Amino acid sequence: MSSNAVSLYLDPQIRDWVLFPITVVMILVGILRHYVVLLLQSAPKKLPRAAIREQRALMRSNILRASSANSPLPPSFYQSISQHLSQAFAAGTFLKDGPPKSDAPTTPANPLSDPSQMDGMMAGMKTQMVMMVPQMVIMGWINFFFQGFVLIKLPFPLTLGFKSMLQRGVETPDMDVRWVSSLSWYFLNFFGLNGLYRLILGNDNSADSSRDMTTPFAAAAVAPQGPQAQDYNKLFKAERDNLEFAEGLYSWVGKDIETTVLKKYGRLPDSQ
Amino acid sequence: MSTPDQQAQLLFPPNVQYNASRIYSIKFLSSCFAGAVAGVLGLENSLGFALFILATLLTSACLYVKCKGRPAKYIPGGWWELVNPGQENISSFILVWTLFYGIVHVYD
Repeated sequence: MSSNAVSLYLDPQIRDWVLFPITVVMILVGILRHYVVLLLQSAPKKLPRAAIREQRALMRSNILRASSANSPLPPSFYQSISQHLSQAFAAGTFLKDGPPKSDAPTTPANPLSDPSQMDGMMAGMKTQMVMMVPQMVIMGWINFFFQGFVLIKLPFPLTLGFKSMLQRGVETPDMDVRWVSSLSWYFLNFFGLNGLYRLILGNDNSADSSRDMTTPFAAAAVAPQGPQAQDYNKLFKAERDNLEFAEGLYSWVGKDIETTVLKKYGRLPDSQ
Repeated sequence: MSTPDQQAQLLFPPNVQYNASRIYSIKFLSSCFAGAVAGVLGLENSLGFALFILATLLTSACLYVKCKGRPAKYIPGGWWELVNPGQENISSFILVWTLFYGIVHVYD
């Protein structure tokens, strides 16, 4: 039964030579990782104008539809844009390869065989590798050099289940779980430094360890290449229906604005 | 203008992004300082976490005043976005708390 009054005395040199160096090394390695990923990224491939137009056409119609219930556009503008887009979708003028030949079966491009998409997926995997390697190296370094002693006392209690993980090198069955070894300091740093990276390196930094855990390999690779694998013709047809629906919902914010303004200033005669 | 969609439509995206990153930095710095205070004071267990909650509330009160009482005008999501410290800041708090607790109270 460990008594709370007795506390271990730790050599201050442990603080100087283990605590601070681990933190400093992790910060620096994180910054290094960010810049390495930045250097490794190939420049985004330039798409031909037709391909970009195809992708953007859907966005244009989405933007139009999004605000249709309280639209800032007066009716003449809204109707003309809506009809133009609708006709273009029906005729397939925005498609990358021109209007579809009438009976050719349209199959979406196979993502693995299309070379432009392979590049994107490789880039995603490369960054994943770069993220993993330093973490492994640092864990190995810590396990090798800083093993076998207690580093710090946690200010909060943990259950006994954590003992095996947090007191890795120290074989004492009775010691309070709050005395932990250097590996657990590594884990604390691992989770806690993300905010610091965001402060120093800006929002989109690659040193963020929370990103590593939330992106499976597929997700990072899919985002820039997803639209290319889809059949734009079908999407355009579906979008036509959406546009008609939105047109039904459309109402201009400035409708009857004269009446509203007059009423607001009390100038409207009560003859209504 | 009551539905969340319509309210989100009224916010200008670049401004929202700027606000969000500013608020994030403020929350991070406040959790770091709260951690330092908790560590230096030697607070343990629930006292330390109580200090964290207190610091979070204080920060959100300051942000609320900065929003002139209308958080919906500045960030999507209303007052819960202001108060919520986020998982990263909790881990930062624990890190800094452990660090200062160790420096001040454990080492001679």
